[in-house]
Amino acid sequence: MNKFDVVVVGAGPAGSTAAYLLAKAGLKVLLLERGRGAGSKLLWGGKAYAQPLRDVWPELDKEAPIHRWVTKERISVLWGERAITLEYKLGRRVAFTSPLTELAAWMARKAEAAGALFLDEVVVEEIVVKDGRVVGVRSGGDFVAADVVIDAEGANRLLLEKLGLADRPNPYHMAVAAKEVISLDPRLIEERFGLERDEGLSWLVLGDVTLGIPGGGFVYTMRDTISIGIVLNVGYGAEAAEKGVLRDHISRLLENFRTHPYFRHYWKEADVIEYGGRMTVEGGLRFAPKRLYANGLLVVGDAAGMLVNAGYTIRGVDTAVTSARVAAEAVLEARDKGGFTEENLRGYEERLRKSYVYKELVDHSGVAEIFGDPFFFSKVPPFLVRAASKVFEADYAEPTLLEALKTSAQEEEINMLRLMLKVGRVVRRI
Amino acid sequence: MRIVVGIKWVPNTQAVRFDPETGTLIRKGVPSIVNPHDLPAVEAALRLREKTGGEVIAISMAPPPAVKGLELVLGMGVDRAILVTDRAFAGADTWATSYVLSHAIRKIAAEIGEVDLAIFGHETIDSSTSHVQAQVASWLDWPYLYYVKRVEPVGGKLLRVWRELEDYEEEYEVETPAVLSIAIKAFKPRPVSLSSKLRAKLEKRVLTWTNADLKLDPRCVGLKGSPTIVAKTIDMPEVPRKKEVYRPKDGKDAARWIIAKMVHDEKLREVLKGLVGGEL
Amino acid sequence: MSQPSRLRPLKLEELLRRNVWDVDEERHIEILRQDGLPQKALQLLCPMGCYSMAGDKLLMSYEGCVECGTCRVLSTPQQIRWEFPKSGRGIQYRYT
Repeated sequence: MNKFDVVVVGAGPAGSTAAYLLAKAGLKVLLLERGRGAGSKLLWGGKAYAQPLRDVWPELDKEAPIHRWVTKERISVLWGERAITLEYKLGRRVAFTSPLTELAAWMARKAEAAGALFLDEVVVEEIVVKDGRVVGVRSGGDFVAADVVIDAEGANRLLLEKLGLADRPNPYHMAVAAKEVISLDPRLIEERFGLERDEGLSWLVLGDVTLGIPGGGFVYTMRDTISIGIVLNVGYGAEAAEKGVLRDHISRLLENFRTHPYFRHYWKEADVIEYGGRMTVEGGLRFAPKRLYANGLLVVGDAAGMLVNAGYTIRGVDTAVTSARVAAEAVLEARDKGGFTEENLRGYEERLRKSYVYKELVDHSGVAEIFGDPFFFSKVPPFLVRAASKVFEADYAEPTLLEALKTSAQEEEINMLRLMLKVGRVVRRI
Repeated sequence: MRIVVGIKWVPNTQAVRFDPETGTLIRKGVPSIVNPHDLPAVEAALRLREKTGGEVIAISMAPPPAVKGLELVLGMGVDRAILVTDRAFAGADTWATSYVLSHAIRKIAAEIGEVDLAIFGHETIDSSTSHVQAQVASWLDWPYLYYVKRVEPVGGKLLRVWRELEDYEEEYEVETPAVLSIAIKAFKPRPVSLSSKLRAKLEKRVLTWTNADLKLDPRCVGLKGSPTIVAKTIDMPEVPRKKEVYRPKDGKDAARWIIAKMVHDEKLREVLKGLVGGEL
Repeated sequence: MSQPSRLRPLKLEELLRRNVWDVDEERHIEILRQDGLPQKALQLLCPMGCYSMAGDKLLMSYEGCVECGTCRVLSTPQQIRWEFPKSGRGIQYRYT
């Protein structure tokens, strides 16, 4: 009874995808989740790219708990009471918003319907290795045997660390998010953000919402809620706290953001119905474990570092789903080859390297450079906002744009040449 | 030994918020949980089973979503669970609830086998009456002990039971069948185990009984069978709390500080004045 | 009609009241060693404010923890014991 073809640890998007595909292919799959129901431990900003999900579930558009299709992307640079905002109106429906609690629950239901056995409230404490291969998992005193274990444990890799396949992460490769869910009538959301009934908005904010600490703010519109949050790089955040640059609790930064005169009108009468926090991967490839596969083991999703931060957009769910899809394909391939040996599972990494996820991770690794350079968060936003103020707030003759930039650079003590070199390097790599 | 444990599926009251503008409780999206005080009762039953053999049956009168809660106790190691659910049972007070539960216990005895013990938690977090256990005992005409902190089998039909009271302890010998109510925190509930959970899921160990099974008079169950009348509910305003940390030099200093705090609190001052019968 | 109360920053305690936990009796996170812990960072970055000072010592209140792991990456296994709550207990997110 306690023997499965596959045990998947963690019913987040990656785990449920792997369980779904493998159960559908006829394997005996056990999907384990530590939370009460899938999704109860999950928190995100709010936006997923649909096509990679449709590759797994063609019925996505009809069945998934899609709240709104993102039709507007905004990026703001904020400093003090001033803000510069860039808005892009999309021409087609590419990404949607949904609470991850709902989306992950749907994915787990799909896995269960495909025949996977889903057990929640189970904390896996150990991936068991015997004679150089993974043979199952342990929880409490209980052992469950599996031919292959798929580790989808998320950003807190307790199991991989126990196996010696990962170390406690470097704080500079992680970000901590504080998020609020604000409840608002759908009609008001549409009216205030200029959206149609099923349209949504995704909004990133840089600048002093994080006091210039690497990170940013976000706003996503759901059906009848708005998700707003603050993300701080853990390493730089900790540095700022110890140095006294950061004096307030992260929730205070978030509340200042929510009540900021530039933003508060959108949700002025709405109540905060939930407040949460979560740590996320910022490192991408740098966060990847020492190995993505071993004898009888595959690592997928956040645990594998499958999160792309392109600066202007962050992709974690579609990349997690894709890594799990690729892992499932590799498992089936290994089965056909005669066993889940390291050699036969090698296909996982090979397939992953060929997928768009890997390309994204490599292409956008330059963003890590931005996040590794507080200059972009503490110096660039005030400089841009100052330049804009010179152009837009002139009582008589306004300066030329170049003059405005030059004098602002001087006033902010920024070397223009250094700035241009840095920007040039970043533009090529995000 | 066959032990029945009563489980109540309750809203997580800790999460229910009060909306001062409308004066109502906000329950939207608040998930229900197994009444936390029932878990020590489950633990007591499991430990007793480990000593005497037999089985533990969890029973809950609740709407269908309570299956989640029964799955949790199955995951702790309960052998099977019975969900007693019927629209006719809705709106029951403690009287109607205990009536249904006592008949469910009779049905267990008739169809599954003799029941030796019914164990309950001390109270529920959503109503705190502690009535149901006592009423079940009287419907069944079984002896009832509450504030139980320890139970040991003596042999035969005898159990030794310790009750925790304010400043003393009582030791009883009780003959089964009996009803016990377990003191809060008397037993530390074990975590859910993977193998129990797996067994529960694979063997589908939750039975559902409706009134078609129990065949109770509709006038005696649910709202109709409930003599309790809620005349009025008053929502208490939230009391603002201040947090202060004081590091005393010694015990005397600590006492002095606390007393000083107390006498400076106007409301408390009134209470203290009443106690000492004069000025402070 | 605007309600100015909603436009003032809420205190952390007020935010925490919005949430649902099923608190385990057993603590899943524990400070093992005080020395070397980044006191200010833990107090300000733990999203739920689980870390506070008692005199010169850090105090960890696990009840409001959301199991995010921030304190974990800011410490070593010798400083902080870090596990997940058992049996599905801990934070129960609903709309996130």
